[in-house]
Amino acid sequence: MTVGRLFECQSFILSQFSLLCSDKERVFHVYDFISEVKNHRNVVLYCSMKSSQTQTATQEKQQPPKVKVPQHALKRTVDKFTRDYEAIIGIETHVQLSTLTKAFCSCPYNYGSQPNTSICPICMGLPGALPVLNSKMIEFAVKLGLALNCKLSLNSKFDRKQYFYPDLPKGYQISQFDIPIATGGYIDLDIPLEFGGGHKKFGITRVHMEEDAGKLLHSGNGAQVDLNRAGVPLLEIVSEPDMRTGIEAAEYAAELQRVVRYLGISNGNMQEGSLRCDVNVSIRPIGQLEFGTKVEIKNLNSFSSINRAIDFEISRQAQLHSQGQGDHIVQETRLWEEGAQKTVTMRKKEGLSDYRYFPEPDLPEVILTQEYVDSIHKSLPELPEMKRRRYENMGLSMQDVLFLANDMNVAEYFDATLSSGADLKLAANWIMGDIAAYMKNEKLSINEIKLTPKELGELIASIKGGTISGKIGKEILFELLAKGGTVKGLIEEKDLIQINDPVEIGKMIDKVISENPKQLEQYRGGKTKLQGFFAGQVMKLSKGKANPGLLNKILLEKLNAKS
Amino acid sequence: MAMGSSRALLILSNFKFKPTLPFASSSLKPFPPFIRNNFRTRNFSAKTSSSLPPPDLPRLAETARISLAPNEVEEFAPKIRRVVGWFGQLQAVDLDNVEPAIRADTEGDNLREDVPETFENKEALMASVPSYKEPYIKVPKVLNKE
Repeated sequence: MTVGRLFECQSFILSQFSLLCSDKERVFHVYDFISEVKNHRNVVLYCSMKSSQTQTATQEKQQPPKVKVPQHALKRTVDKFTRDYEAIIGIETHVQLSTLTKAFCSCPYNYGSQPNTSICPICMGLPGALPVLNSKMIEFAVKLGLALNCKLSLNSKFDRKQYFYPDLPKGYQISQFDIPIATGGYIDLDIPLEFGGGHKKFGITRVHMEEDAGKLLHSGNGAQVDLNRAGVPLLEIVSEPDMRTGIEAAEYAAELQRVVRYLGISNGNMQEGSLRCDVNVSIRPIGQLEFGTKVEIKNLNSFSSINRAIDFEISRQAQLHSQGQGDHIVQETRLWEEGAQKTVTMRKKEGLSDYRYFPEPDLPEVILTQEYVDSIHKSLPELPEMKRRRYENMGLSMQDVLFLANDMNVAEYFDATLSSGADLKLAANWIMGDIAAYMKNEKLSINEIKLTPKELGELIASIKGGTISGKIGKEILFELLAKGGTVKGLIEEKDLIQINDPVEIGKMIDKVISENPKQLEQYRGGKTKLQGFFAGQVMKLSKGKANPGLLNKILLEKLNAKS
Repeated sequence: MAMGSSRALLILSNFKFKPTLPFASSSLKPFPPFIRNNFRTRNFSAKTSSSLPPPDLPRLAETARISLAPNEVEEFAPKIRRVVGWFGQLQAVDLDNVEPAIRADTEGDNLREDVPETFENKEALMASVPSYKEPYIKVPKVLNKE
C-alpha cells in the first residue's frame, strides 16, 4: 500500500460513505481532506469559485490587438499614489479548448447552440455515469505547457473540487489540484511602444486541466441553467504575481490569446468567454516585502477592461492607504462594471474556500511518455515570441513586428509573401497599409481576401522593377483584393505597363504644352508651381502609365527650354 | 449513486475490515490488485497524518448543505467517528520503504478519441429534471443569497 494510494482510498471511502449515510442522497463529506493538503504552496490561494453569470458583452470589437489608453483623470490619480506604492498583479486565465467534444463525454460543443441540447448523463452528472477523458484535452494541455516553457508532469491526475452551485450538476468540478499537468514556466512579450515599450517576462505558476460549469442566467425570482457548457474542457493558467500595471496585465492576456490561437487549441475569444481572466490585485508601499491584501476582479471581457479595472483598483486601494484606511481593503471578489468604469464588491471571501479536494476515483492517472511529449514539441508551430524575434532580426521596426506577429494568419501571409521573393519593408508596408485597411473596411480576415501572397510578391516586384507605376500598383491591388487574378494578367488585360520610353513621354509632353499656351507663358513668367499642373495633364494623357520620374525630368527640360 | 455504494464496499472488503456498516451491503465483485511493482518517485504533497481529529459534524453538514436535526447529529456522530477509526488502522501500515503513488494502476490508458456523439434520449434526461421550462432548467434564485 503506497502513501498516495492510502490517501486516495481514505478519501474515496469517506466520500462514498458520506453519500450513503445521507438519506437525502446528497454529497456529505465526512472529513475535510483539504486541511491535509494545504501546505502546498500557492494552490489554495488560487482556488476560485467559478462564476458563470451570463457574459455581458462589451462594446469592444473583435480581436483588439492593443490596449486602449486609460482615462486621463484616473491615470493622474494612479500616478500620484503609485509613486509610493507598488501594485502586485497575478492573473488566472481560463481557456476553453476548441475540441469537438467535451472533456469527459462525447457530447459535441458549439457556442450558441440551443440551450440544453448538447447534454448526456455524464455531463449532467446522473448517477452511474462515468467520465472518459478526451485525448485531445491532454494533447492541448501538453501543447500549452510546452509553449509556456513549463515543466510537464509525466504523471498527473484529476481531483474533485466540491462546491454547490446550480450550474455544476455533479456537485463537484473535475479539476487538477496538487499535481497539475504543467508547472513553473514563463511567457515573453513586448509592450507596444505607445505604452512605453520594452520586453517583459512573466512567470507561469501552473497550467491545469479542468471542466467548465454550465451557464446560469439570473432572472428576477429564479435562475435558468443551460448545461451545454458543462463539461467543456478548460485549461487554467495561473501566472506568478509578476505584473505591476494594468497595461502589463492586459498585454499578458493578449499574449496568452496569441499563444492559444497560434497553437490552434482555442479561439481565444473573450466575448464568447473562451478566454476568461480573473485578476488579483494588491498594493504595498515600495520597499515592503510582504504582499498587501489581495482583491480579485472578475467580469473582465476585454483587454482594455483588464487594463482599466486594474488601474482603477490600484487607485482605489492607494487612496484608501493614503487616507489611513488601509485596513478597509479586504480580501474579496469585486466585479468590473464596464458602464460605470469601476469595481464593486461581489462577495467577501469567507476565509479560504473549502473545496474538500480529493482524487477523482473515476479517472485513471494521466500518464505522458517522453516520446509523446517530444513528438508534440516537434509539432509546435513558430510561436509569437519566436516570430517577433525573427522579424526583429530581419530588421523590421518593433511597430511592424508587433502588427505582423499579432495574428498568426497575417504573419503566415507575410512570410509567404517574403518567400515569393518580395522586398521585406515593402511587403510589410503593403500588408499593414492598404491591405489592412481593405480588410477593416470589408470586415474580412486575411484568409478571405482574394489576393494571394504570391501575387502580392509579384505586384511588389512589378513596381520595384518599373513595369508599372506605384499608382497603377495601388489600383491593381484593390482589384486583386476583391476579385483575385494575377498581376501579369491584369497588366496585360488593361494595358497598364508603365511607359518608360523617353521619346513617347516626350511626345505626350509636347502635346500637353502645345495645348496649354497660357499656362506655359505663366510658367515661364516665374509661376514654376505650374510644373505640377503639366505633370498631371501628361499623366492623365498616359492613363497613369508614364514613369513619373522620367516624366518630371523630361517635362522640366522642355518647360525650361527656350522655344 | 448506486455505483458509488458498491465501490465503497469493494474497497472496504478488500482491506478485510469487518465494519458494522450503517447501510445495507450490495453485491461484491473481485477487486483489481492495488499494489504496483514499479514504484515511481514523486513529490506527493498530500501526506497522511498520523492522527485524524474527530470530525465536527455540524460543520460537515453545513459544507454539504444538509440540515441535520440534533437527534440526527447524535445518531451519525458515533458512526462517523467509527469510520475515521477504521482509517486509523490504515495508519498502522508500514510505508517506510514504499514510494508514493498518485493513483492506482489502471489497465492501459483509458482515453477517448475526440469524436462527437449525440445522446439521443433527451426526453429521459429532461424527465429527470425537477423543474424544466423549455429550453432551460429552472433553479431557485442564487444571486445575492450567499
